Amino acid sequence: MRRREFLLAGLLVPFLPACGHDEDAVRVDLSRREEPTMRQPPKAVTYAYLPQYAHTVSYERHRLLLDYLSRSTGLSLRQVFPDTFEEHVRMVERGEIDISFSNPFAYIRMAASGARAFARIIEPSGKPDFKSQIICRRDNKALVTLADCRGKRWMAVDQSSAGGYIYALGEFYDNGIRRSDFAEITFAPGPGGKQEKVVLAVFAGACDIGSIRDGTLDILRERIDIGQLRILAESKSYPGWVYSARLGFPPETTARIARAFFALNYDRPDDATILTTAGMRGIIPANDADYASVRRLAEKLGLDATAGGDE
Amino acid sequence: MILRLSALSFRTKINCGIVLIVGLIAIPLAYLTWRAAAESLQAETRKRGLVLSENLAMRVSDPMLSMDLLRLKNMVDELDKVDDISYAFILDRQGSVLVHTFTGGFPVELLDVNAPQGDKPTIRLLDTGREFIDDFAAPVVIVGTPFGTARIGLSRTKAEAAADRLALMIVFYSAAAMVAALAPSTLFARRVTERINRLKRHAEEVVKGNLDPRAGPPALRPCSAILDCDKKLCPAYGDKARRCWLTASPDQRGDGPESCRDCPVYREQKGDEIQDLAETFDVMAVSLKTHLDELRRAERVLSRQERLLRTILDATPDFVCLVDENSKYLAVNRAYATFVGQPSGTIVGSTDREIYPEDEGPDMHEENRRVLDAGRPSDREVSLRRPGGPLWLHIVRVPVTDPAGRVIGLLRTARDVTQLKQFQEQLIQSQKMESIGKLAGGVAHEINTPLGVILGYSQLLQEDVPAGSQIRADLQTIEKQAKVCRKIVADLLGFSRQAESAKIEMCFNNSLMEAISLVRHALSLDKIAIVTNLDERMPIIYGDPEKLKQVWINLLSNARDAMAGRGGTVLVRSRLFAEDQKVTAWFADTGPGISPENQSRIFDPFFTTKPVGQGTGLGLSVSFGIINDHGGAIRVETPAPDGFFDAHLTGGEDTPGTVFIVDLPLDHEETLGGPRPADPTEA
Repeated sequence: MRRREFLLAGLLVPFLPACGHDEDAVRVDLSRREEPTMRQPPKAVTYAYLPQYAHTVSYERHRLLLDYLSRSTGLSLRQVFPDTFEEHVRMVERGEIDISFSNPFAYIRMAASGARAFARIIEPSGKPDFKSQIICRRDNKALVTLADCRGKRWMAVDQSSAGGYIYALGEFYDNGIRRSDFAEITFAPGPGGKQEKVVLAVFAGACDIGSIRDGTLDILRERIDIGQLRILAESKSYPGWVYSARLGFPPETTARIARAFFALNYDRPDDATILTTAGMRGIIPANDADYASVRRLAEKLGLDATAGGDE
Repeated sequence: MILRLSALSFRTKINCGIVLIVGLIAIPLAYLTWRAAAESLQAETRKRGLVLSENLAMRVSDPMLSMDLLRLKNMVDELDKVDDISYAFILDRQGSVLVHTFTGGFPVELLDVNAPQGDKPTIRLLDTGREFIDDFAAPVVIVGTPFGTARIGLSRTKAEAAADRLALMIVFYSAAAMVAALAPSTLFARRVTERINRLKRHAEEVVKGNLDPRAGPPALRPCSAILDCDKKLCPAYGDKARRCWLTASPDQRGDGPESCRDCPVYREQKGDEIQDLAETFDVMAVSLKTHLDELRRAERVLSRQERLLRTILDATPDFVCLVDENSKYLAVNRAYATFVGQPSGTIVGSTDREIYPEDEGPDMHEENRRVLDAGRPSDREVSLRRPGGPLWLHIVRVPVTDPAGRVIGLLRTARDVTQLKQFQEQLIQSQKMESIGKLAGGVAHEINTPLGVILGYSQLLQEDVPAGSQIRADLQTIEKQAKVCRKIVADLLGFSRQAESAKIEMCFNNSLMEAISLVRHALSLDKIAIVTNLDERMPIIYGDPEKLKQVWINLLSNARDAMAGRGGTVLVRSRLFAEDQKVTAWFADTGPGISPENQSRIFDPFFTTKPVGQGTGLGLSVSFGIINDHGGAIRVETPAPDGFFDAHLTGGEDTPGTVFIVDLPLDHEETLGGPRPADPTEA
């Protein structure tokens, strides 16, 4: 009899855990429905960074700077994130972006709609100019000089990208290479992070050459083996990125912000952190005339700087 | 229930066993698989939910920064297309719902039931009443700053439904396997039960006594053919019905089947366990039949021996019985049963105390006890009181022992020695009489001479005295008495066989007629008639005529004395029995006969029933001696056998009568004709 009981118990043991749920469930009534209403953000000065990188990178780079501006000016600032260069330009034109941080070519387009430069940055290299780099894979033996780029596939950052396209295009133009000489010219797909996408496309072999602004490789140094890439050529230097205020933005507010910018000193650790995070060494005053070389380049290349380019 | 289970057929039991085994395997397996799958699916769901929610939280960073609600909406809608994702929605850092997948409004209770803890996603199990949902809340963090929350609801019920479907599928396949297993198991069971039933029928035949059928399959070739063996004396030679490792002689098969494993015969003919059983059964049946035959033969021998023994025991007049250590009868022979007057069946089991009278039983029992205790045989003669006189038994008790020497009973043999006792008494009497006879003969021989002198002188003196004188009369009396004395002396001499015997060839009938003629007249005076019926073949014997005549006269005188005063008839008859080489004479009277107690003594010397002075008691004893001297025999039968006398001889009276029968041997082969029946009733 005892043996039979043990046998029965042995057979039933595996079924014991099925006796109930071992996790408490929260009772939720899904029948109570309401259509949510999103809260309107408070009134603030809108600040945008031309989306050459992903929004999160843009946010990460300029978060401390915006915090600094808010603290030092007392203004309420809010960073907004247009998805494309074009949208950035349009938003400035529509007044949805008060302070724009853009490349020179985007600026000359926005300047056509009334935006005015009031500050420019000192590049991490320490100079207020920057240039375009034409990169290829290190193992691509067919590319030695710029002339070798004929018939090759070229990926650029964006049609509106200065360092990522226009400066390189100007360099090719100066070396007698036209756009039609390439097998194809493609632009980095999707929103944001376009500089990195070009590097990754060249790294992956999706294209033969790529054009990026200088400094981009350093951003990706921790993520890919930069040694596998080679800088084939660099363009001439042009004025760096520029801060501009939209048409109609109060000048006194622009002045407050400009003062705060100019007060940043790279030698101060806190300011250095802010500046380094934002990818710059400092911010210096600027005006529209500083970008005449860029306008000449656009004219040389036949780009329509007033309507966002011919692309 | 157990009884009913045991009554199920073997085939049903096998099928039930298969179903039970498959069920016992499948059900726990299905359950455990279901449990494992459910837990695994649940864990996977949680991992997947976490990945999805964290992925969503990462992907929504850019759209959230740009407040691109369309992209956010697309992202949650993409998730909503997945079957087990119940919902997905995005909250901004203020907790406002940016986008969601619900239609007809957002369920407000869902907002606060789950929230990420710091930068870690959390999971909460929600019960909506219709299903269980795992709610995943992953924080949207951009550069360490919380920007909102991505929430995804995965239906656990749907995940468990997948596990349920898996368990159901296992159950279904198990059931299919069970059904599939039943077919071969039924075939297998039928095959096994057919063979078992064949064995059963064979066993029933064996029970009925039919040991000839074979249960095992015959072999295609006998072992002798496989091994090319020529040992024709081997029991397995040429036998295809049985296996050689079971039937072969021990020197052929060594240590039995174990030693045959490498033998080609064993490898070719070895079957499964049931075939082994059937073959062993066949061998057992054959062995049983052989043993039964031997047993029957032994039984016949034993039965015959028992009959012989029983016949011997029953035929023996001795009273034989076997008693156990408690003196209880184990077996008795027929003579003993007849002696006791009870059937043997009644006697067996009883004791002497119950069988014998109260004054004899205890003694018998005690004697048995002494022999059983002592373990030594005893030999005793005992006298038992029985109607008609004492019964003497010579009883021998022999202890019976087992192989260990322990006394387990005794064999008692008793013999009726009553007659022997009587003979012994008669012998003693005869020896006594012989001594007396010798004494009397010696005395008579010594007296005979002086008696002759007395008789001579008395006769001489008579011549000297005048006739008629007193002296002469006295002398005559002396002479007469002296003659009587001489007669007595002569009888004594004859009795003691000291008289001379002169045997010659003589006619038996003439001897009889001579004696009859001498006494006929004297008997007639007593109204006694003598009737003769003599054998016409005139038998010749070798004997002493005078002495035989004396015998006949003695017998006729005795007859006269028996019928004194009443008259009667004496029948004398003779017959020749050529085959037996003898002649017999009958002397029958119609007197009152002889009393039983005197019958055994009438031939004793000096025994007489006559008054003193009328007989010496030597007549019959002298006659007995003469007949013995002739090699014959004399005996008496009284009363006379029925029909011995004719009615006219007895005058119609019913008298017992006495017959003396004398047998005498012939001296030579008689050729006087064929044998005649010795019918004593023949007139």
